Amino acid sequence: MRGTLIFAGSSCPALTGKICENLGMAPADAELTQFSNGETSVRILTSVREKDVFVVQSGSPKINDTIMELLIMISACKGGSANKITAVLPYFPYSRQSKKKSHRGAITARMLANLLGVAGVKHVVTVDLHASQMQGFFKCPVDNLHAEPLIARWIRHNVPNWKEAVVVSKNAGGTKRVTSLADALKLNFGIVTTDKKRGGGSNNMTASMIMNHLDGIEHQPLLDSLSSDQVRSNPSGLENGTAPTENGQARAASRTIADAQGSPRRANGPSSRTSSNPRPHPARRPVTPSQSSVIDEMDEDAEHEGLEYNDQRAHEVTHGRLYQGHIVPDDFPSPATSAADTSLPEEDPMTMSHASSFFTSQPHALGGSGDAASSDEEDEILKNPKIEHMITLVGDVKGRTVFIVDDMIDKPGSWIAAAETVVKRGFAKKVYCIATHAVFGADCLEQLEACDCIHAIVVTNSYPIREEQARNAKKLVVLDLSFLLAEAIRRNHYGESMSPLFQHIVD
Amino acid sequence: MSGEMANEIKLISGRSHPDLSDKIAKRLGVEVARTISLNYSNQETSFTVGESVRDEDVFIMQSTATGDVNEGLMELLIMISACRTASARRITAVIPNFPYARQDKKDKSRAPISARLVANMLQTAGANHIVTVDLHASQIQGFFSVPVDNLYAEPSFLRYINENFSPEDCVIVSPDAGGAKRATSIADHLNTAFALIHKERPRPNVVGRMVLVGNVEDKIAILVDDMADTCGTLVKAAAVLKENGAKSVLALVTHGILSGNAIETLNGSVLSALVVTNTVPLGDKVERCPKLRVIDISPTIAEAIRRTHNGESVSYLFTHAPV
Repeated sequence: MRGTLIFAGSSCPALTGKICENLGMAPADAELTQFSNGETSVRILTSVREKDVFVVQSGSPKINDTIMELLIMISACKGGSANKITAVLPYFPYSRQSKKKSHRGAITARMLANLLGVAGVKHVVTVDLHASQMQGFFKCPVDNLHAEPLIARWIRHNVPNWKEAVVVSKNAGGTKRVTSLADALKLNFGIVTTDKKRGGGSNNMTASMIMNHLDGIEHQPLLDSLSSDQVRSNPSGLENGTAPTENGQARAASRTIADAQGSPRRANGPSSRTSSNPRPHPARRPVTPSQSSVIDEMDEDAEHEGLEYNDQRAHEVTHGRLYQGHIVPDDFPSPATSAADTSLPEEDPMTMSHASSFFTSQPHALGGSGDAASSDEEDEILKNPKIEHMITLVGDVKGRTVFIVDDMIDKPGSWIAAAETVVKRGFAKKVYCIATHAVFGADCLEQLEACDCIHAIVVTNSYPIREEQARNAKKLVVLDLSFLLAEAIRRNHYGESMSPLFQHIVD
Repeated sequence: MSGEMANEIKLISGRSHPDLSDKIAKRLGVEVARTISLNYSNQETSFTVGESVRDEDVFIMQSTATGDVNEGLMELLIMISACRTASARRITAVIPNFPYARQDKKDKSRAPISARLVANMLQTAGANHIVTVDLHASQIQGFFSVPVDNLYAEPSFLRYINENFSPEDCVIVSPDAGGAKRATSIADHLNTAFALIHKERPRPNVVGRMVLVGNVEDKIAILVDDMADTCGTLVKAAAVLKENGAKSVLALVTHGILSGNAIETLNGSVLSALVVTNTVPLGDKVERCPKLRVIDISPTIAEAIRRTHNGESVSYLFTHAPV
C-alpha cells in the first residue's frame, strides 16, 4: 500500500510479518533496544514524514516494557512528522483493569487510553476488548474487531457434530460473549458459576436456593404453613449436627442474600432459553432464617423426587463440590471449618490477585454489574484449601460436545474447574476451551494440557505464544488473526467500511 | 481545626525504593500510607490505596530501579491515576531520578524525545506537581505545564567535601563539557581550581578519546557529574587524571544508576571512591563495591515536601542541605 508504514513492536514480530505478508509489503525498519539501565531505546530507521503509520504491539511477559516501547515508538513517529498514527493492539494491555474494583483502585485501562492519546495516536485497532465500554475511554476512534467469526468458522469446519454442541460460559460475566457465539452457530448454551462456600455445612445450599428461586412461588404457601418448631424437631435434613439451627440458619440466610443479587439472573437466563416451559423467577422477598432452613430441606427432597420422575429441571441445574480447584465426590470430607482461620483478610497478600478482597468483603461492593467480571480474579481463591466452593452448571450438556468460551485464558483454575464440572457432573462428551487471547500466565498451558477433561484449547495469535510452549502442546489450536488485522489496516487506510469484518460468513 | 486536618501530607511509596520513602517519612514524622501494589500473573501492575486520600495533599515517592525503569514508571502512573480517581486534592510525584532524562532532544532524525513523553504521561495520569533531583537537563522542566521543583544534591556534596578534605588541596573536574557548569558551580563555592576533560562519544555508553584541560598535579581530583551509569566515562577520566599527576581521584555523582558491569569496572579502577546519593536504589551494590559511599538525600527531599505542603519557599534548599 502506498504511503503506509507498518512497524512491529518487539512483542509480536511474527504476527506483524504475517499482516505485512497479507498486505504485500515489508515491515518498516526500526531498531528497538534497551539501554543498560533498562530504559527503552527506539530508532525509527526510515522516513515517516506524511506517511500513514501503523504500530503493531501485543502483550508480553514484560508488559510494562512493551507499553513504554509502544508509546515511545508512537512519540517518535509523531516527532518525525507522520501524517496519522494508528496503534494496532491485538491484545489491549491492562484491559481487565477497566473499572474501579475497590475503593481507590486505579482505572488503569482508561489511563493507558489517555497515555496513547498523549503519545500521538489518532486511531486504535484492537481485538475483543475485555469490556467493549472501554472504547469510550478514548478520544480517538477505536475499532474493536471480533475474533468470533473466525472461531465460529473453525468450529464449523473442524468440530464433528458441532450442531449438537453446547456453548458454556465459565462465569456469569462472560455470558454475553457466549450467547453471541451460540446465536451465531444456532446452538444451545449453558453457564457454570462458582460460589464461595466455607468448608462443612450442607452441600446443596446453593443448589436448593436456586431451585428456591426458580420454584419459589410454588413452595411459598407450603413454607408458610409450616411452623419453625416443626423444623427444629426434625434435624434429619441438616447435616451439621453440632449446632444445626444456628449454623445452618446463619449460612442459609447469607446465602439467600447473595443469591438474591446474582443467582436468579444466572439461573433464569438459560432456563427460559432451553426449557420448553420457562418458569418465572420470583421477585426478591425477605426470608427469615428458619424459613430458609426449611427451603433447604424441602428442596433436597424436591430434587430427589425430580430425578425419579425425570423432571426436566434436574438436568438443567447440576451441582458439584469444588475443592482446591477440582471437582470432588459428594462424600469427600469437608475441609476444617473454623470461623477464625477462614477469614479472608488474614491470607497472604501475594497469593491473591484481587486486591479489593482486602478492603471489601463483598465482591461487588460498589455495585459492579458483573459486565466485565474476570473469573481470573477468583482463580487464586479457588485454590485456597480452606475454602470449598459450590460449582453449579445450568444447562443440559449430557452426551454433547461443549465449548467453554471466554475472552482470555490467563490462569487455568477456572477453566479446569468448568471442564471437570461439565464432564464429571454434566456428562459432556468432549470439551473445547475457546478464547481469543492466549495470555497463558505461568504454567497455565501445561496444566490445561494435563487436564483429562479438556479435549482441545482453541486460541488466536493475538498474544504471542512462546514457541517451545506451543510445540509441546498437543491440544493447542492457534487461529491466525493476521488476515483480520491486515484487512482492518487496509480498510482504514483506504477509508472503507469495517462492518464486513464483523459478519459471519457461512462457507 | 477539623478543616485543617482534612488536608495533610499523605506519603505514598512505590515499590522501587521503600528505603528512601521510609527515611523521608521518618524525617517528616508521618507514616507511609498503606497501599497494595502487586503484579498479576501476566505482569500487569495493580495498585490500590489502603486508606482515604480524599482532599489530602498526596506525595507519591517513586524512584526507578536500574533495569526496571519501565516497571517503576508504569507503577508510578497507576499510583497517580488511582489517587486522582480517589479525589486527592493535590498529587505531587516525587521522582528523585527522572526516568528517560537523557532522551531529551531530537539529536538524530526521528529520535523520540522520550523525556517529554514521560512528562506528558505524568500530567495525563494526574500529577499536579513534580519534585525531582538534579535533572539531566534543566530544560526538562519546560516539558511540563505543571510546576517542577528541581532540587540539587550540590549542597550535600559541598558539605561532604568540606567535612572530608581541605578545599585548597582539591581540584574539581568535569568529566565532559556538558557538565562544566555543574563543576564550576561547586568549584566557585569551594573557591578551588577547576579542570575539564573533553571526551569523544561515538555511541551511547561507549567512550572515545579523552583530553584533560587544566592542571591537577599533586591535587585531589574530584570528578563531578549528575549520573554514573556504566561508569566507563568516570573510570577513563580517572585514569587520565592519574596520568596527569593527580594524587588521588574520587567522583561525586548524584544518581548512582550503576548498570551493567559498573561495579566490576569501579573495583578495577584507579578511583579511590565513588560518592553517590541514594536517589536510586542501590541494592547490594554497597557491599559489592568497597569504593562506593552513599550520601543520604532524604533530608533535602523531606524538607522540600514539607515546604511544598506548607506553601513555603523551596529556594533555601538550592544552597543549603538540611542536617
